[in-house]
Amino acid sequence: MGLFDALDISGSGLSAERLRMDVTAENLANAQTTRTATGGPYQRQEVVLAEAQPNNFQTALAGAVGGPSSGTPAGGVDVQGIVNDPAPGRLVFDPGNPDANAQGYVRMPNVNTVTEMVDLISEQRSYEANVTAMQTDKTMLSKTFDLLS
Amino acid sequence: MGGRAESTDGRLNLSRPLSLFDNTELGLERAVSGSAERQTLLANNIANASTPGYQPLDVDFHSTLAQAMQTGDAGAIESAQFQPQRSQLAMQADGNGVDVDVESAEMAKNGLDYESLVSVAKARIAILQYSMGSK
Repeated sequence: MGLFDALDISGSGLSAERLRMDVTAENLANAQTTRTATGGPYQRQEVVLAEAQPNNFQTALAGAVGGPSSGTPAGGVDVQGIVNDPAPGRLVFDPGNPDANAQGYVRMPNVNTVTEMVDLISEQRSYEANVTAMQTDKTMLSKTFDLLS
Repeated sequence: MGGRAESTDGRLNLSRPLSLFDNTELGLERAVSGSAERQTLLANNIANASTPGYQPLDVDFHSTLAQAMQTGDAGAIESAQFQPQRSQLAMQADGNGVDVDVESAEMAKNGLDYESLVSVAKARIAILQYSMGSK
């Protein structure tokens, strides 16, 4: 437990939100990709987040000796992985497209650019919230060091 | 506690020796650490603003500490446990209960709370230093 823990926690939030922004950018960039290495159109990707358990000396000791953990249950956020969205993409009539089927329809990626843009805004705001939390924490820390002067 | 000059009503009892660091100093120290812990929890809530199923954490260290200080016992103040609570309220569709606006406001308040506690602690140390003629 300490003020530096709060900085680490906000840091985990920053990297998680940055990864979400990266994945959203990837989805937007591939909104029209009909051909991928695995075959078929591009599948929209999504980041899976989970609450991280604190991993510090205090909780490790409490776990080892079987005593109650007196530390804080806050451990930041953990990226569990990036998964594909299995929803099927829409069919577009485009007989001239090399990926069109016998009826002239092309299966497009299941990316909705409007949804992705809204996600991007929400990710940006969450990122900013974490930066603000870090700034508050830094002010508190410098105030504490001020005690020594 | 022996050596402590406070009586249970919080006023000074000068028939006993006055120690250099009294219950107020101890309470201040515990409040600063409670506020720091709360900052960690609020930072965790903001970091998990997009985590499905996450419920926000918070700790009411003020009332726990107030109860301990009412006893006037230094041991009770020192060993007061701040137990973080998980909220069971507001839910989004993905089961997340974090309201970033509320958390940010609480964090701003907690930051000011912390700064005021540290300022008081600093003033008290300055008084001690002055009384010792070291300033």
